[in-house]
Amino acid sequence: MNAADGQLAKPLLSLDKVTTYYAQMRILEGISLQVGAGELVCLLGGNASGKSTTLKTILGLVRPRAGRVLFAGEDVTAWPVPQRIANGVAIVPENRRLFGTMTVRENLELGAVLRDAGTYDADFERVYTLFPRLHERRDQLAGTLSGGEQQMVAMGRALMSRPRLLLMDEPSMGLSPALVQQNFRIIKEVHESGVAVLMVEQNATMALSIADRGYVLSTGEIVLSGSAAELLRSEDLKRAYLGR
Amino acid sequence: MSVEPKDPSIGVDEWVARSAQRAEYAPGWRGQAQRRWERIGWWPRLGIAALAGAAVPLLTVNDFQLQIGINALLLALLALGLNISVGWAGLLDLGFIAFYGFGAYGFALLSSNQLSTSGVHLPAYASVPIVMVGAACLGLMVGLPSRRLIGDYLAIITLFFGEAFVEFTNNVATNKLGGPNGIVAIDPYKAFGAQITTNKGYFYLLLILLVLTMAALHLLDTSRTGRAWRAVREDPLAAEMMTIPVNRVKLMAFSFGAVVAALAGTVFAAQQISVFPTDFDTTFLILIYAALILGGAGSIGGAVLGGLILSVTLDGFLRSPTQSGYLFYGVILLTLIVKLRPWWRLIAVVAGTAVFGLVVHAIVHAVSASAVAGGPQSSGWIADLVRNWVVVPRNPAAAGNVGFVLLLGLLIALVQVRGRWRTVLLVPTLYLSVCVWEGRLVTVPAITRQILIGAILIVMMNARPQGLLGSRRVEVV
Amino acid sequence: MHFFIQELVNGLTQGSLYALIALGYSMVYGVLKLLNFAHGDLYMVGAFIGYFVIQWFGGPMALSVPVPLVLLVMFVLAGGGVGMLGVAIERFAYRPLRDAPRIAPLITALGVAFLLENTMLLLFGASYRDYNTSAFISFSTGIHIGPLNVDIVRIMVIVLSIVLMFALTVIVNRTKLGRQMRAVASDREAAEMLGINVDYTIAATFFLGSALAGIAGVMAGLVFNQIYTLMGFVAGLKAFTAAVVGGIGSIPGAMLGGMLIGIAESFVTGYISSTYTNLIVFGILIAVMLARPTGLLGRVPLQKV
Repeated sequence: MNAADGQLAKPLLSLDKVTTYYAQMRILEGISLQVGAGELVCLLGGNASGKSTTLKTILGLVRPRAGRVLFAGEDVTAWPVPQRIANGVAIVPENRRLFGTMTVRENLELGAVLRDAGTYDADFERVYTLFPRLHERRDQLAGTLSGGEQQMVAMGRALMSRPRLLLMDEPSMGLSPALVQQNFRIIKEVHESGVAVLMVEQNATMALSIADRGYVLSTGEIVLSGSAAELLRSEDLKRAYLGR
Repeated sequence: MSVEPKDPSIGVDEWVARSAQRAEYAPGWRGQAQRRWERIGWWPRLGIAALAGAAVPLLTVNDFQLQIGINALLLALLALGLNISVGWAGLLDLGFIAFYGFGAYGFALLSSNQLSTSGVHLPAYASVPIVMVGAACLGLMVGLPSRRLIGDYLAIITLFFGEAFVEFTNNVATNKLGGPNGIVAIDPYKAFGAQITTNKGYFYLLLILLVLTMAALHLLDTSRTGRAWRAVREDPLAAEMMTIPVNRVKLMAFSFGAVVAALAGTVFAAQQISVFPTDFDTTFLILIYAALILGGAGSIGGAVLGGLILSVTLDGFLRSPTQSGYLFYGVILLTLIVKLRPWWRLIAVVAGTAVFGLVVHAIVHAVSASAVAGGPQSSGWIADLVRNWVVVPRNPAAAGNVGFVLLLGLLIALVQVRGRWRTVLLVPTLYLSVCVWEGRLVTVPAITRQILIGAILIVMMNARPQGLLGSRRVEVV
Repeated sequence: MHFFIQELVNGLTQGSLYALIALGYSMVYGVLKLLNFAHGDLYMVGAFIGYFVIQWFGGPMALSVPVPLVLLVMFVLAGGGVGMLGVAIERFAYRPLRDAPRIAPLITALGVAFLLENTMLLLFGASYRDYNTSAFISFSTGIHIGPLNVDIVRIMVIVLSIVLMFALTVIVNRTKLGRQMRAVASDREAAEMLGINVDYTIAATFFLGSALAGIAGVMAGLVFNQIYTLMGFVAGLKAFTAAVVGGIGSIPGAMLGGMLIGIAESFVTGYISSTYTNLIVFGILIAVMLARPTGLLGRVPLQKV
């Protein structure tokens, strides 16, 4: 599980030498990474290192020009986004991206948009148990919530699709330090309920403190990988952040 | 034409890379010519273009052709004015036509007998500056909403302004403005005892005005104001933070555009000797837009080129069936030659279309002789060439209409399919377009012209939004 | 007083048409942030489809089937046909430009409007065509109180518009499609990240909005009789402003805006002068847009800078 070379016996998600362009701009160059079932992996890196693009490639919003994306043993490289979501991937986007003019309940419902109405009562239950605050606020417009509450809605919305792998893009961005703490507790809680998490973060120490393993991206390439404990000790991590 | 850089480093936008290396030139003599042309600086280039323009009246034989030239120069001047607000400052001004109308009506009122009861009948050298100052003020006024409204809201409010102008001239103070009958018997341009009455004179006047405007706008473009306009276009908020007075800069764009348009309007009124509300309707506004888009919004040369090409094409060629035929077949052949590579594909498509036509003609003829009895509606050697090739029934209008709708469908399908199928589909599309052209479009040049303008806007925006001479906008992500 | 009520009814009729067109504008603007200049021309196409349905059933003087059936076929065909046309326009003209600078789809929309108008001109000519409604629907039926006459056609137009607007409200607020539409309008990329089929949602929005314009076109033919290929542009402009006056993106706003503009137009014509109608209405519109760009029922968008 925590092999130092990052090779897992049977990974849930596996990127195999993925190269991605954004219009004319090359963002990722031969990325290979794995996330095992139930693992919490973080993806670190400075600005414009390609972290968000990696997540978008996994979700299918961006198609790689080369390489393969494998999920639960299947090659999903050519799959459209809805099919991947139905297969068990979900994302909590950067800045949360809630539908501000819709109620909390409607936001959550949209998380399960791919399933028929009436099949998600249990999911509501699960989200409301995890975030009791959302139950209180269910008829309030999402745009009027506080930053912490919005983060809860964003996570709840992603959980509504019953993901096996949760992608998190910069969950602590724009939150106060106290909320960041709380946020990481929630992520850990979600993770402990059996969902694998791939988290993109700039706050390396914080992320590694709850993660199993980590990868470090720099200008589109993975420059460092290993267990969280190793990375925390590593001098190379600091160097990777400061640039080569 | 530009070559993609081989292998940009990661994270570097190829556009940036290309700009950083200045420009990639086409190989061979074209690239050399391009380089040499760019090296001689802007004012000798403008001078060469002006001399070329000045030679045109020596080549033309009649007044009609000069009139086409005058229309073309007017459209170029208007596209230049529109370019200030739309191309540079990024403000979608759909009321621009009203400035042109204001210039024309202003000149018409001041320099005719229309207001002589109140003792106003000014010579041109007095009324033109007055009109231009008035237009500048009007531009400021119309631009005021741009302080609060952007994008579509600004577009719609300026469009209302343009519509209101037509309504105004049609209905208000009909004893002065003439209502739908307009104003007639307007003075010619006159200064220092000389007056311009011939088409040749107006051609040269417009050419001089166009060149002067181009030079002035070039200086403006490279000045602080020009940079401020582009900054406001790209990101008003960032521009504001760079201490650019955004509102003032926007108003200036409106005002400058209005002055150029009004100047064109005065010449138009003086040359036509009459103005009518219908001269300034939305149709003409869209023509100016089409000219600017075709040439390339944001580029002085582009705006002028777009105006000249569009005007000469639409007025000059589309009038007579024979000449519009040259245009139609010429454009199709040119497009095929430029777009179809390698050469054997071009040959295959042309030959395929010829054979396809013969087969279709033979089949249709065998089924019903009257279905091919119409023959081409145009005349000349091209019509003779395709006479026994196109299918034009005895009553061409109805069949032509069906064919036109079918053609639209085929064109859409052509855009959608890829690879080999596109080449295959090109054959019936080409054939059908010739049939529809010969059977229907050639007989209704006025409508064909409008359809072409609409098509130019859609096709340019989808295929080459930067126009012929513009540079591609880069969105910062 | 009778005159006042008469003008009010005229205004409501005209306003219903504006409101129906405005709804389509508002919906399309919501999902694409695009001012679809071609929308007014879709209304014109709808009017023509209705006209040809009448001709197809034998013409207004000698209808071969009962009048309610003719009306039903007119509305269904105009709604469905124009809806499909709207979907096609979105698919081929606007979709390739979804990520282009905002000015590109706007100019394309101008081109589409121009192309549509002139294609219709090519196909059907510039002459006015007459629905001749009075030949098959008796204008003398309806409500008559003293000198006040509200004929059956106007009643039908107003009632049907209200029913359609109500149905649309239900679709947008209560159904899954409606939720998806609102999600796409609010944040297209986030909607995509949840697996919402954005292309389908936008196409559905275009279908609904265009269908309403097509139905409004048939209504215009029934009420005003005369239709022509250039009837769409100015009607479209006024309807867009109705959408803006009411608050763009808001369904009750579009209804309110449409009614207000219809009534204002009717009163200006009735009490001041028909020559100045357009001028005064344009003036009112400019003033409203300057004074309150977010509209009467619109919300100031929560925009992050």
